[in-house]
Order: sequence, then structure tokens, then C-alpha cells
Amino acid sequence: MTGIGIVVAILVTLVAVLIPWLPTSASEEMDRIEFVYWFATIICIGIFSLVMAVIIYSVLTFRAGPDDEADGPSIHGHTGLEIVWTVVPAVLVIAIGIVSAVVLSQNGSAGANPLTVKVFAQQFAWRFEYPDQANLKSGELVLPTGRSVKFEMTSADVIHSFWIPEMGQKQDLVPGIKTTLVVTPKPGHEGTFTLVCTELCGLGHATMRAPVRVLTQAGFDAWVKEQQSGGGGGATGAAVFTSAGCAGCHAFEPAGSNAAIGPSLDELAASAEQAGQPLDAYVRESIVEPGKVIASGYKDGVMPPSFGESLSAKEIDALVQYLTGTGP
Amino acid sequence: MSSIEHGTSPDSGHGAGPWAPRQRGILMRAGYVRAAWCAGLFFLIGMYIVVAIRWFAGWDPVYDWNIITITGALTTAPIGFLLGLGAFDYWLYWISGRPTRPEDHSGHGAYSWKDYFKVNTDHKVIGVQYLTTTFVFFVLGGLMAMLFRAELAQPGMQFMDTQTYNGLVSVHAALMIFVFIIPAFAGLANFAVPLMLGAPDMAFPRLNALSFWLLPIAGTMFLASFLAPGGAFATGWTSYAPLASEQPIGQVFFNMGVQWAGASSILTALNFLVTIITMRAPGMTFWRMPLLVWANFTTSLLVVIATPFIAGSQFFVMFDRVMHTSFFVPAGGGYVLGYQHIFWFYSHPAVYIMILPGFGIISEIISVFSRKPIFGYRLMAMSLLGILVLGFSVWAHHMFVAGMADWLRVPMMISTLLIAVPTGVKVFSWLATMWEGKIHLNTPMLFALGFISMFVIGGLSGIYLGSVPITVHASDTYFIVAHIHYVLFGGSVLTIFAGIYYWFPKMTGRMYSERLGKWHFWLTFVSFNLTFFPMHWVGLVGMPRRVADYSDRFADLNLFVTVSSFALGASVVIFFYNVIVSWARGPIAESNPWRAMTLEWQVSSPPPVFNFDEIPQVVGGPYEYGVPGARHAVLKGGAAQEAHV
Repeated sequence: MTGIGIVVAILVTLVAVLIPWLPTSASEEMDRIEFVYWFATIICIGIFSLVMAVIIYSVLTFRAGPDDEADGPSIHGHTGLEIVWTVVPAVLVIAIGIVSAVVLSQNGSAGANPLTVKVFAQQFAWRFEYPDQANLKSGELVLPTGRSVKFEMTSADVIHSFWIPEMGQKQDLVPGIKTTLVVTPKPGHEGTFTLVCTELCGLGHATMRAPVRVLTQAGFDAWVKEQQSGGGGGATGAAVFTSAGCAGCHAFEPAGSNAAIGPSLDELAASAEQAGQPLDAYVRESIVEPGKVIASGYKDGVMPPSFGESLSAKEIDALVQYLTGTGP
Repeated sequence: MSSIEHGTSPDSGHGAGPWAPRQRGILMRAGYVRAAWCAGLFFLIGMYIVVAIRWFAGWDPVYDWNIITITGALTTAPIGFLLGLGAFDYWLYWISGRPTRPEDHSGHGAYSWKDYFKVNTDHKVIGVQYLTTTFVFFVLGGLMAMLFRAELAQPGMQFMDTQTYNGLVSVHAALMIFVFIIPAFAGLANFAVPLMLGAPDMAFPRLNALSFWLLPIAGTMFLASFLAPGGAFATGWTSYAPLASEQPIGQVFFNMGVQWAGASSILTALNFLVTIITMRAPGMTFWRMPLLVWANFTTSLLVVIATPFIAGSQFFVMFDRVMHTSFFVPAGGGYVLGYQHIFWFYSHPAVYIMILPGFGIISEIISVFSRKPIFGYRLMAMSLLGILVLGFSVWAHHMFVAGMADWLRVPMMISTLLIAVPTGVKVFSWLATMWEGKIHLNTPMLFALGFISMFVIGGLSGIYLGSVPITVHASDTYFIVAHIHYVLFGGSVLTIFAGIYYWFPKMTGRMYSERLGKWHFWLTFVSFNLTFFPMHWVGLVGMPRRVADYSDRFADLNLFVTVSSFALGASVVIFFYNVIVSWARGPIAESNPWRAMTLEWQVSSPPPVFNFDEIPQVVGGPYEYGVPGARHAVLKGGAAQEAHV
């Protein structure tokens, strides 16, 4: 039986080691999660191998012949054994619990001088705001490495959930309350990632994503400066298109988006004609009052009616120009 | 509709008593015709109550079809259906002072296949009704799974829009949980528990019949939501507020369907509790009860305590929608997370409602097919109670990333991890029962062994999910989908198959085909693992659950999973072929083909209408295999019992 157990253990260990079960860690929190993961895995390999070894050995050894009508020995129990398999698993799971509790507390602490980023979610878009960087607004999440980032999050409509797989941490965004999450991107892991919504939030849940760019502190500072100088309310229509999350639902060739939750924005001229309105007015109305004209095959109430308030007049102007092909 | 002509047939089995039913026309006789017009009538009553109130109050519109749907179609029409079918006949006769049937069993026994489509008070008939009905929903839920797996074979959208996709996922889960797994166990227990106790029937046979008939109503409601404007409910089986209160009207079909399924669960559980407490045969002490009875006793306690909570949560969400209350609407002072706390206070214990009866089935099978007493019988029973108690202290582990109070995380994690201890006791005791036994690898035993190995994987992935830091990464991903299917398919569904094969000879009086049973097992076992094991990986590396579309890098594995899931679907076809053909033409079963000691095997297959010609006297434990001369019970003059000795 020991032999079978060792064979099973080796096979399972190979499965555990050879397949990259977790994404390459890009945050300190994910490193700690990996530690707990491996701690639990070692215990689980042991238990699984034991159970499988007993099952396989029993079936091979104790199998009765087809005409064997005898009964087995009348063993009713063994108090010592029963105590062992109550106490040992209890000790093992409490060990996992203690390790987990320590890691949980470390993963929740932002340390000194964290960068605060406010996260706003609504169906089906993400927006970010940097209060320490003069309330810089962005539709792309840009983070520096080597410093904890504290996300302060809320949702405008239903529950969403914030997850960058390589960073490990996850937190729901709940309407009516503020939730927080700490992520510390690791130096040396600068690059692009994807923020995905992991809580079913309606039609466009699968496409509710946002680009994440992790830069060095210097690169981050440069990005902030660039945004601030180019910003001041004079953002381009393309930037508004990204930051307001339009690409989450609509296809629009100039922006490279191909989502199909809402109608394609490549045929706006045709739909304006159908609605009997000038293109410019039609596009503006569709942003501010999305329920007024519903493209055939689509449903009312899917697009949030709040863009008239959440976007400034200048931003809406820029967006309309961008969508009608008259501005950047 | 031809079942109507059998309106009086049950009496033919016993000879006419002093009470003879008045011959009535087809419209007035209990049956489907009366059920149809009563449902229609009650729909109109519900509708015009709404219309009258709205007209009187001056609300516009007077015909508010959302409210009419909830009141008429989902509340009063089902009551009319039950009334027409005859589920309330006895009580109404009694209340109105008309002559009732002098004895209890006028609806007892099934003499033709048509009797299975009527209100019947025989626990054995009801057990079969439960199982056949739940397997219809199992097939429909499985077909839905194959539909959305087809959509997931490639990234991008191919066959459906995202609302339809979300709808299929949600209805699949609702069918499988509420009208397949939970009631399938109730069906098996309905058949087996009274027999195992040495009782002639359940304590409340008419209530038992009513509990069953609530079930097709719930399942039909889930399915009918596809016909609602805006499509089926599409918020997952968890139906989180506030998304659920702003979805199209299909959502209320879930809110109300859960009420009917929940009522069915609660009534059955009460029935089991009273039956187990009061109807044990002489000598059947609690410590002599088979573990299946213990398992259903524990499960019934869970159901009775927990189910009202999900009923409440669904009512509150629906009130937010139709009455503009603010239970979970922040703008009105509501607390969004309140929904999750109430929902999971039921739905975590529900996980045990969906597995403890399976534990009971496996305990019976492992002992009988290893020809050894169950190892550590008392600890096995106590561990069920341990799971019951701990099961109520872990609900918030579903909310580790939900934004609830931080301090709750660590205590909930510890209690969650501790549930592994009583569960581990059960697994190790099964293994020890097999040790040095005389193992017979018949189909039920294969499913039992398949269950132990799959459930251990599901349990171990549960250890990962118990650890908060790992859950923070893995929650709401395909890792969860993998875990839940290892526990509910590799766990519960395999035990349901094991139970059906085990009691098939007793239920039908015929043997199933071992060869096909083994084919069914191996195909299911292999294709199940090919379908669900890769999901662990795809989830951990970054694929969220409940998404209609996904990143291209997961495309190959998803295609593989889809193909495997079709194989899993095909394996079920073998099961149905085996069961249907064997039921019709299989070889006649002996009364005790497994040489088991528990009471149901000491009577003929199928058992007599009232189970035991004479009440058995229980004289020992239920698993005394290998003990010379040991007996569980003494039945006087039973032919079946002589064959056993």
C-alpha cells in the first residue's frame, strides 16, 4: 500500500509542479497568496495520496471472487484510530488557518505612504481617480511599482468585483458602501495587465474590463504630468471614449473596439437618418438620454442614463466630435 | 388526460369500503382536466384581485402585467392546479363535513403506470414520482449546460446573446440545485426511510403527496421564465441584489419558484422528522438506525431551520422590485450585503442538504458491498450532527471578498476549515470499512468509490477556498465552478446514481444491467474529470465565472472542456437506456439481491403496499456483517426473510 501511496503522491506532485497553476505574480500580495497556496497544496497532496492509496489497495487486495459469499471480519471500530483521524486533520486545518490569518492581515495593510486610487464601477465600465494627483481622472488604471496602492472603491448601480489576476487581490464594489483593497505592484514586473469584473453584473459582464499599465515610479510621475498638461478638461474624444468605458459595450472601429452589448457606433450616420435627426444632435441625445431612441434589436435600460451628469459638457462635446468623425 | 378514468381505481386494490366515491363528470373529477380549468380560474381570480385593487385605488395602469404575473400566474394559478389535481381533496372534505375516506390509504399503491401521474399517498410511489420528475429536470438542466458549453467552445459570441447566455447559466443552476439534487435525495429517502424504520408509510402521507406536487410547479416556473419578456432570470442561482431587483420580469419566476421548491422541502423535512422520531419499529433505537436514516434526520433539521431564510431573501428582493421597499436599495437606506447574509445563511447549509443524504447512501453501500460493519458507527452519526452545527457558522465564507465586516473573515475561515474534520472522519471511516472486507464491485459500489475519490478532490479544493487569502484570488473564477461541480456532481450526483442502482431492484422488482451500469460509471467518471478538472486551472490563471465571452488565451482549454462535457452528456444516455429497459424487461429481482441486513431488503421486491405484513421487531444494529448469527430485525413468517436466513 505504501508503494501505491508513493506512486500517487509522485504523480500528484508532478501535476502540481509541472503545470503553472497560478499566473506569474506581479504583486507582493500575490507572492504571499502563493505561499499559502503551496502550504495547503503540500498538505492536500498528502491527504489525497493516502485516500487514493487505501482505495486502490483495498480494491486490488480485498476484492471478493464472484461466488464468494463470505462476510468480512466484524470490526466495529477502533477508538485510537478514530481519535487520530479526528485530531490530525484538525491540527492540519488549524495550521492552514493560522498561516492564512497571518497572510490575510499582511495583505490588508497598505504600509506607509500608499498611493490612493479611487475606483468607480458602473455597468459596464471602470473609472479611476487619483486624489493625490489633483484628482486626475482616467479610464486606464496606471500604477507605479514598489509602492502600495490603496483602492477606495464604490459602485453606482449593482455589485461589481475588482480583480487583476496577476496581482491576486480581489474585492467587490458595492453600491452604498465604500470598500478598500491594497495592491503592491512588484518592481521588475512593469507591463500591461487586464482588470476584469468577476461579479455577474448584467448583460455586459463578460466585457467589463479595463486596461492596467504598471510603470516604474518615474514612469508613473511622467504619465501624471503628461495627463495633467494635456488635461484641464480638454481631453480628446478618444480619451473620453476610453475613460467613460464606451468600448465595453460598443463596437467602434477608430477605437479598435468590437464589443456587441450595444449597437455598433460605426453606423451612426445611418441610424441618425433613420431617426430623422441631424447626426450631431442624434449622437448627443443618445449619450445623454440613451432611452430616447432604441436601435432595433437592442433593449432599453441597458445603457446607464447618467453620462449627462458624469461627463462634463466639454467632454461630451469632444466625444460627439470623435464619434461623428469631426474631432480627435 | 386519460388518467381521469382511473379516478376510482385505488379502491379496486382493496375492495370497496363503506365509502364509495360519487361518480362525477370529467370536469369535476380530480385529475388533469380539473387541474387545468382550476389553474385558469385561479389565475383569473388572482388577476382580478390585482385589477380590482388597482382600479379602486386609482393606480395607473390598472392592468399591470408584472404584478398580475406574480399574483396570478406564479401564486394563485399553482394553488388552483393543486386543488384541481386533488391534492387538497381529503382536507376539504373533512373541513366541510362531508364523508372522508374511512381509511387513510385510498390513494395507496400504484397499479398502472398512470397511477404515477396522480396524487398518491404511498411513500414508495411518491419516491418514484420524485425521482422521475427530478430526472426530467436533470436532463433539461444538462441540455442547457451543453448549450452554453457550445457557446463557450470559442471566444466571442456565436449562437446567442449575452442575456440568453446568462439566462441559461442561471436556469441550469436553479434546476440542478432546487429541483434536481435536493428533491432527488428527498425521493430516495421517501422510498427508503419508512422501509428502513419498519414503518408502513410516512407519518403524514397526504402532506407527503402535497410536497411532491409542489415540485413540478417550481421546476415549470424556472423553465417558463424563458417565455417571459426580456428572457429568463439571468443573475445566477445566487440572484444577488440589487442586480436582481432591476432585471426583466423573468427574475420573479426565480423568486417565486424558490418559494414553491422551498415549501416542498420544508414540508418533506417535517414529515421525515416526525416519521423518524415517532414511527420507528419496536426495538429500533436511535443507535440502531441505519446511517441513511441518520443522514436524513440531520438533513431535515437543516432544511427546517435554514430554508425559511432563502424564502425571505427572495421575497425581500421581489418586494424591492414590486412594492418599492428598500431592503437592499442603498438609496432608500437598504443594505446590499444584507441579501448575501440572508441568502447564504440558507445556501451554505444547503450545501450540506445536498450532500448529507449522499453520505447516508454511501454508508449503506460501502458496508453492504464490503461485507463488513460500518467502521465507527456512532462517530459516523455524530459527525453528521457535527456538520449540522458547524454548517450554520460558516455562511460568510461565501462573502470573503464581498465587503462585509473585516473581523468576520478569520472566525468564519476557522469554522469553515474545521468542517473538514467531521467530513474527514466520514471518509476515513468508509476506507476503514472497506479494509479487510470482501469487496464486491457492483455498480452501486463503483459509484460509491467514484464518489469518495471525487468528493475528496472537491473537499480539498474546499480547503483552498476556506483559506481567505487564496479565496481572495480564486473567488468568482472558474476555480469555484470546478469546486462546486466536484462537490455537487462528483459528490451528490454520483451518490444519487449509486442510490438508484442500489435500490433499483427494490423499487421496480427488476434488476438493471450490470454491464451497462459499469459502462455508465466509467464514462461518467472519465468525462466528468475531463470536463471539470481543467476548470481549476483556467480559473486560477484568470478566467472569471459566468462570462459569455473570454480572453483568447483560454480558447484551447475551453474547447476541450466543451467536447468533454458532451461526452458527459452522452454517458447519461446509457443510464436512461439501462433504467428504462430494465424497468420494463429486466430479470425479476430477488427480495434481497445484495444480502443486506437493513429492513427494506427483508420484504419482497417491490415491497407490499403497506411494507410489512407484520410490524418487525428490531433486535440489533443494521450492519452486523460477519457477526455469526447476528440479526437486525425479526420478521415473523416473511418469505423474504427466510430466504435471507
